[in-house]
Amino acid sequence: MADGGAWRPPRPCEAYRAEWKLCRSARHFLHHYYVHGERPACEQWRRDLASCREWEERRSAEAQQSLCESERARVQATRKHALVWALRQSPPADWHLPLPQDEKDQ
Amino acid sequence: MKHSGCAVNKERHFSCEDCNGNVSGGFDASTSQIVLCQNNIRNQAHMNRVVTHELVHAFDHCRAHVNWFTDVRHLACSEVRAANLSGDCSLVNEIFRLHFGLKQHHQTCVRDRAILSILAVRNISKEVAQKAVDEVFESCFNDHEPFGRIPHNKTYARYAHRDFQNRDRYYSNI
Repeated sequence: MADGGAWRPPRPCEAYRAEWKLCRSARHFLHHYYVHGERPACEQWRRDLASCREWEERRSAEAQQSLCESERARVQATRKHALVWALRQSPPADWHLPLPQDEKDQ
Repeated sequence: MKHSGCAVNKERHFSCEDCNGNVSGGFDASTSQIVLCQNNIRNQAHMNRVVTHELVHAFDHCRAHVNWFTDVRHLACSEVRAANLSGDCSLVNEIFRLHFGLKQHHQTCVRDRAILSILAVRNISKEVAQKAVDEVFESCFNDHEPFGRIPHNKTYARYAHRDFQNRDRYYSNI
C-alpha cells in the first residue's frame, strides 16, 4: 500500500455509491436469490462509501485502512478456490496464425 | 481478449456455418475459431448469448492451458463458466424452457447445461460428464473472470467494464 501522500481510494466514491445502490435494488435481490438462494449483503458497500467520503473530506487514516482491508478481503474472496487449470504466461502461439485452409489457398 | 494477448478479428476468429442437430455454436481450440450455427440461431438475443458463451471458451483458451481434448475436467470447467456468465441460465431463458425454479435455480441450470454441452462434443457417458462437473463446480462457478461478477444484464456488464478500466488504480491502492 502506498504512503498516505500518494494513496487514493481504490475506486472513486461514486463507484461505491453505485455498487451500494445496485446491491440494494429489487432487481439485484432477485438475481442474487436466483443464483445463491439467499438475500444479498450490501452493508459493506455502504461502509466503504462512508470511508471513501471520510477520506475525501478529512484524509482519515482509519478510513484508508478500512477501505484497503475491505477491498483486500474482496480480492481474497475471488481467490478462495484453487484453479482447475494452469494459467498461461503468454497467449497461444497459433491464435493469430492464418487458418490451415487460408494457407492452402495462398 | 485484447488485454490477454488474443485480439479478436471477426474474419479470422468467427465462422458462420450450417450445423447438424440443434447446436447453436462452438469453439474450435485447434483453429482458435468460434463457430456460429447460422441455421440454429433464432434472433439477436440468442446470438448475443451464443457469442458471449463461445467467447468465454476463447478467453479460457487464451489465458490458461486448457486441455480441451484430454482432460474432461478442463472442458467441464469452461462449460460451467460459459453457462454461468453468458446468460444461458437467466430466469427468463429457463422459464422459456419450461424449467421453473427460483431459489438457487441458476446453479442447477448451469450444472445441467454444462453436462449437455460436454455430451454434445465428447463421446462419454452422462455419469462421467456429471462427475467432472461436480468435481470442478465449486471452483469454476465462482471464477467470474474477466467480468469480476455474473453479468446478468447491461448494467452489470457496464460496471464490470468500468472496473476493468479502473484496474490499475484499484490494484495500486489496496
